[in-house]
Amino acid sequence: MDTQKTEAQLATPEDQGRRKFLNTAAFTGLAGAGLSLGLTACNKETPAPAAAGAAPAAAPAPAAKVAHGKYDVPPGQLDEYYSFSSGGHSGDVRIYGYPSGRQLKKIPVFNTDCLIGWGVTNESKAIIGTKPNGQLKYTTGDTHHVHMSYKDGTYDGKWMFVNDKIHGRIARVRMDTFECDKITELPNIMGFHGIFPDKRDPVDQAVNYTTRVFCGAEFHIPLPNDGRDINDPTKYGCLFSCVDAKTMEVRWQCRVDGNMDLVATSYDGKLAASNQYNTEAGAVYAEMMSAERDSCIFFNVERIEAAVKAGKFVTIGTSKVPVVDGTRKSNADPKTALVCYVPVPKNPHGVNISPDGKYYVCSGKLSPTATVIEHEKVLKWFAGEMKEPRDAVVAEPEIGLGPLHTGFDHKGNAYTTLFLDSQIVKWNVAAAIKAFAGDKAAKVVLDRIDVHYQPGHGFTSMGETKDADGKFFISDNKFSKDRLLPVGPLHAETAQLIDISGDKMVLVHDHTTIPEPHDSIIVRRDIVKTRQVYDLAEFPHGIKSLDESRVERKGKKVTIHLGSQAPQFGLLEWTVKKGDEVTIILTNLDKVEDLTHGFAIPKYDINFIVNPQETKSVTFVADKPGVYWCYCTHFCHALHLEMRSRMLIEG
Amino acid sequence: MSSSSLFFRLPALLVAVLASLLFIVAPALAAPASLAYEASLPAELVSDPDLCKHVACGSVLPGAERFSPRKGRPSYVEAYASEDGRERLLGYVFLSTDIVDIPAYSGKPIVTLIGMDAKGVITGVRVLKHSEPILLLGIPEEKLVAFVNQYLGKVVGSKIEVGKGHAGDDVIGLDAISGATVTVIAENQVIMRSAMIVARQVGILKSPERPPVSYTDVPPTVDWAALHKEGGVERLTVRADEVGLPPDANKPYIDIWFGYLNAPTIGKAILGEHSYRRLMEELKPDEHAVFLIADGIESFKGSGFVRGGIFDRVQVAQDLDNYTFRDLDYQNLYSVNVPGRPDYRESAVFIIRDAGFAPAYPWNLVFLANKLDKVTGNKEFVNFSREFWLPDRYIVGGRPHYERPLAAWEKVWRARALEIGLFALLLVVAGVVYAIRDRLVRSASHKDKWPVSGPKYALWGFSIFFAGFYLMAQPSITQVLTWFHSILFKWEWELFLSDPFIFLFWVFIIITVFFWGRGMFCGWLCPYGALTEMSHRIAGHLGLKRFQRQLPTKLHDKLKWTKYWIFVGLLGVSFYSMSLAEVLAEIEPFKTTFLVGVWNRSWPFVVFWVVVFAACLIVERFFCKYLCPLGAALAIPSTFRWWGLKRKDECGPCKACQSGCESLAIDEQGRIDQRECMLCLDCMVLYYDDHACPPLSKERKQRTRANLPMTPIAGDGYFIPIKPVAISAEPAFVPTAPIAAARAEGLFARLYGELKDHLLPWNRQLRKQPLFLQAAGVALAVLVTWVLLLGAAGKLGPGVILGWWLAWSAYEVITRMGCKPFVKDGPWWENNFRPASWADMVAYVGFKNLLIGAAFMLFLKGVGALALLQGIPELRWLY
Repeated sequence: MDTQKTEAQLATPEDQGRRKFLNTAAFTGLAGAGLSLGLTACNKETPAPAAAGAAPAAAPAPAAKVAHGKYDVPPGQLDEYYSFSSGGHSGDVRIYGYPSGRQLKKIPVFNTDCLIGWGVTNESKAIIGTKPNGQLKYTTGDTHHVHMSYKDGTYDGKWMFVNDKIHGRIARVRMDTFECDKITELPNIMGFHGIFPDKRDPVDQAVNYTTRVFCGAEFHIPLPNDGRDINDPTKYGCLFSCVDAKTMEVRWQCRVDGNMDLVATSYDGKLAASNQYNTEAGAVYAEMMSAERDSCIFFNVERIEAAVKAGKFVTIGTSKVPVVDGTRKSNADPKTALVCYVPVPKNPHGVNISPDGKYYVCSGKLSPTATVIEHEKVLKWFAGEMKEPRDAVVAEPEIGLGPLHTGFDHKGNAYTTLFLDSQIVKWNVAAAIKAFAGDKAAKVVLDRIDVHYQPGHGFTSMGETKDADGKFFISDNKFSKDRLLPVGPLHAETAQLIDISGDKMVLVHDHTTIPEPHDSIIVRRDIVKTRQVYDLAEFPHGIKSLDESRVERKGKKVTIHLGSQAPQFGLLEWTVKKGDEVTIILTNLDKVEDLTHGFAIPKYDINFIVNPQETKSVTFVADKPGVYWCYCTHFCHALHLEMRSRMLIEG
Repeated sequence: MSSSSLFFRLPALLVAVLASLLFIVAPALAAPASLAYEASLPAELVSDPDLCKHVACGSVLPGAERFSPRKGRPSYVEAYASEDGRERLLGYVFLSTDIVDIPAYSGKPIVTLIGMDAKGVITGVRVLKHSEPILLLGIPEEKLVAFVNQYLGKVVGSKIEVGKGHAGDDVIGLDAISGATVTVIAENQVIMRSAMIVARQVGILKSPERPPVSYTDVPPTVDWAALHKEGGVERLTVRADEVGLPPDANKPYIDIWFGYLNAPTIGKAILGEHSYRRLMEELKPDEHAVFLIADGIESFKGSGFVRGGIFDRVQVAQDLDNYTFRDLDYQNLYSVNVPGRPDYRESAVFIIRDAGFAPAYPWNLVFLANKLDKVTGNKEFVNFSREFWLPDRYIVGGRPHYERPLAAWEKVWRARALEIGLFALLLVVAGVVYAIRDRLVRSASHKDKWPVSGPKYALWGFSIFFAGFYLMAQPSITQVLTWFHSILFKWEWELFLSDPFIFLFWVFIIITVFFWGRGMFCGWLCPYGALTEMSHRIAGHLGLKRFQRQLPTKLHDKLKWTKYWIFVGLLGVSFYSMSLAEVLAEIEPFKTTFLVGVWNRSWPFVVFWVVVFAACLIVERFFCKYLCPLGAALAIPSTFRWWGLKRKDECGPCKACQSGCESLAIDEQGRIDQRECMLCLDCMVLYYDDHACPPLSKERKQRTRANLPMTPIAGDGYFIPIKPVAISAEPAFVPTAPIAAARAEGLFARLYGELKDHLLPWNRQLRKQPLFLQAAGVALAVLVTWVLLLGAAGKLGPGVILGWWLAWSAYEVITRMGCKPFVKDGPWWENNFRPASWADMVAYVGFKNLLIGAAFMLFLKGVGALALLQGIPELRWLY
């Protein structure tokens, strides 16, 4: 059985890639060379012609005329969708409008940003976290996954959660201002990759909204990672973390066998899932690929929290977070098990739940398959009504080479990125289940489309909610090569918008992304409701009118209470002494939407903005005597250039 | 729905003219001594209970002597004046920033000090401080001063809007400042709201009682058309030509659909269930959402809101309240999913944040547009508005009772019903008196004219004191100019109805001019004419008789044309500039006499008035005879009066009545010049007087001598013959030899004949004229057609039309005098002609062509040909 499976996996579809040439010219040599590179690790050889019943070789979309104008967003009109995208190792989160693909905003989260003063102002430093000396604890970050909070199975427009893989932090972005308001560092983990908010409480079904965020950890480390066991990888471990969405405190952690990559949550709130590519707990990549099957792990949230409540946990190192035992050894009995390990083909990547809440799709990455796991069957296993976890698998269609991430429409179709094939494949979940059950007539793969090149994540409009609408798919590609004007060795990347509303996928356009986005979500515009200006009342330390601008001194500590109202700051000059610790608290008293002011102090490395009715502060030591023109950096008024005040530092 | 100056409202006009004159004369006085841009105000100004210690409160409330400390919430100051040793509450002074928080373009408020008297009349507005960059960078600050000065004399509680409102509506339109609309809209809100809040606090105004209502959640109608029909959405459309742009057949200037979203039936239909719920969760109890979607060549958003923060093109108005929208009151309207909804390119959800807004009552969406004046090239602001009233079935218990405020003209008619009735009676009595003149003149005699003079003097008395001084209903040439423009361009009943007395007077004038000639009005009812003639007579009795005389006939016959030239001049100027014509119409001393009062005017007006009046004391009706443009204007159609005075065959050589004719209207042939005749009826008294009328007197003497019986005098002015004779079918008297004109039989043939006669100035005589004239005639005929067409299509300035119209008329006069040198005499439906003098011909051609032009334009508009012509650029070469 297993062997046959492997055979079937071998039977990759005809290479559609780079396709017209290959289809007409010598196929084997080139294709063999190209593909074997990608598959050596899997011990796969040159692909054979498609086996009967296997994924049909849909012809690539002909270069039919696409009415691109239909997707135009004419001047003055607005995009229909937002997309919220991770920025990758830029450490930020980006916002795009679709279908135009226009970038609307970059939200600094784990990085620093001198445009808005993220990492410069006292307020942002407090969120990012500082060392005892007041300097930022970290200035780097690596965001991969952005997911929004839910209500009634769909987005509520309240929060976004994003991971930092480098330092193992989770950040929350409030969606009324699109600013990060909270960052939490997860204890005793490394390589925090997958993140997903829950959608419902497992026990109290009335709580049909997000209260937890689950975080997977990719890298095995000693527990605690304080210098012990560094040479003994067998003692390393990975923890799955649950963070409270409201307080952003870590509620509990669960130690598992193997690692965790991506995370998905069920619509009923009962299960969280994570794909595991390193069940071997290998320390080098050859070891990580040694097992034929890795797994997709399911967490029984209710049982874990009951165990925590019952005191069945340990704490690790200095962390106070309760850690429950989710290892295979301790969870052999399904009826009491906290977790369930469902075997899937080796080194899977990506786990996504279908909008109807019934199926998880775990992509093969090194296997050309996608594994479909039925939610009810996993619950059955936990109930002790099903013996083998593998029996929860209801389909495992072959869809192409290097399947990574899957998005869904509202018609039961799945769209999976094929990294190696540089394709998006559209396949039908129900048909795959039928085929898996032996129906040879079931047509699983419905369409394929080339993307350029090497797609990583792909996602559909509203596809992570029960409101999936099947309108657009975006392929975030890892390589752009010749697709965009060259800008030096580091290329911009392409994101490609694909219309999935018809039978055939239609490539709408390429647009650029600055490296390197990973996951995104596409959200209907009406879900997002932002604030237009801040409220003075939110900032007790701010001033209420320009007349209140003043200088206060307490010993060597000087506080400048400053207002800004175009085209002037509340004080035209102020004087401090060398060595003073100066805090400037700036309130933007303008109330007109979009009337943001900036505040820069030359030579003191300070720049930040204050939005209408917002207050921010900076603190620095006036160690350089002289005259310093503090000026407005954000265009505000016809007299913007005149909007500057002198800071006089007496020697 | 469109702008129009209010020149028909004489009093307001006069004040405006005077004000503008003063403004021209002394602009330096109007300019403030110091500028208010970022003026530094004492810090205590905002907090000190004694507001008036820090700012000159008296400057906005003249006459105030003492001011109270700040009182009330929000605060104001009471101003007192002493009167007979006692203190009297004169009014209120308040600082805008104490009351409202309305930032202007700069984001900072315009600090304004406002004075209001105890009755709620704004007495002064001073901008103490503003931060408007536009007034520093481009527009002189005096413009803001001039803008706020427009509020002086306005009553709090009036509907005051920026931009010219619709004439006849009860909206007072203010002139905006081009390029600073956000500033003036904010300042308008500041002044109106502050004044209203204080007025409500001190009891000058009452807040309307409007209990809150709840909405039904009935299923929405199926599609957009049904929703519109039901009143769930309304539509405000403005065409390009309504704002002075070249008409665009394809797209309106703006086409806005709008509605009230809080009502679930509309809200859910427009926004969808999800967005509706979300919006309602977000709104506080006193907040209301309206939506707008619009197409067209213009935007309702404009760009004022970008930096100024205020949407300066759309507002919601309900009764006295105006709600403007700030940028923070705007939300995106993402989709409208009602089947059959119109395409749109702009959309918005606006939030009204005010407890005063009553959604169950009617309100208006107001769109403020910039209108280009084609003649001057100036821009003015015009308001367009459309009412919205939630449909009955959307409100629990249905629409509340609401009494719609009457239109301004209706209000006046109701308020002054008694006076209007009396005035109408006066006019009817005058008409009846004149209609029974035959009886009156028969009972009068050369020696005793009282049967005629008595009623006339009575009417004069009423006219001078009741119509003139009390009602100020003195018709003026400016109204004739307005008629002229209205006939040619746009007719608005509201405009004419807004002054009921003037309106009735004109109805009377039009009827009587055609019945009997202008003398009925000029001689019997014109307040100024009556005043001068009465004064002339009294002066005579008081001993001035020996100085009183007529001008020599020769001189009179030259001078009498002056008034016509004045009229033509005014008419010409009015096509260039109505307001200039209005200023020049001061040649009429009417305003000085009745409306303003001699003692209230500056010395040049007084001197002019005194000179004219003195001349009238010496020379009877000096003004009427030589200067009055109104008389001239009425004289022209008087040419066609239907029923003239009676004449006898002997009148030609006799001329006995000529010497007694004070109007000098009887010429050497004994003909009465209808244009000059005041219908004093002296000659009619003579006509029946067997002691004064030479032929009658002769007959009387003959009969006396022959001892024959004196039979009564018949209507033809002769004794009834003792032996019956055949009565002639023709009128006994024709001024000169009747013109033999063939008259076709049958209705159509007659109509055709009339039409041909009026339209074609030529007949066979033309062949005897030089060919050049013929060609010129044809060419002119063609040209005039085109020009009328284009003018009607809005492509031509009115002056150009007038020029062509005059050219054609001049040509027609000349041609007619060559070909058909006669005009109709008596009723137009009869076929009597008389030889035309040049004046007759000019009057005939001018008046007739005016009517033809008006009829032609009405026809074109009626059949829609205008719309067709509007888009033809090929026709532009003509101008």
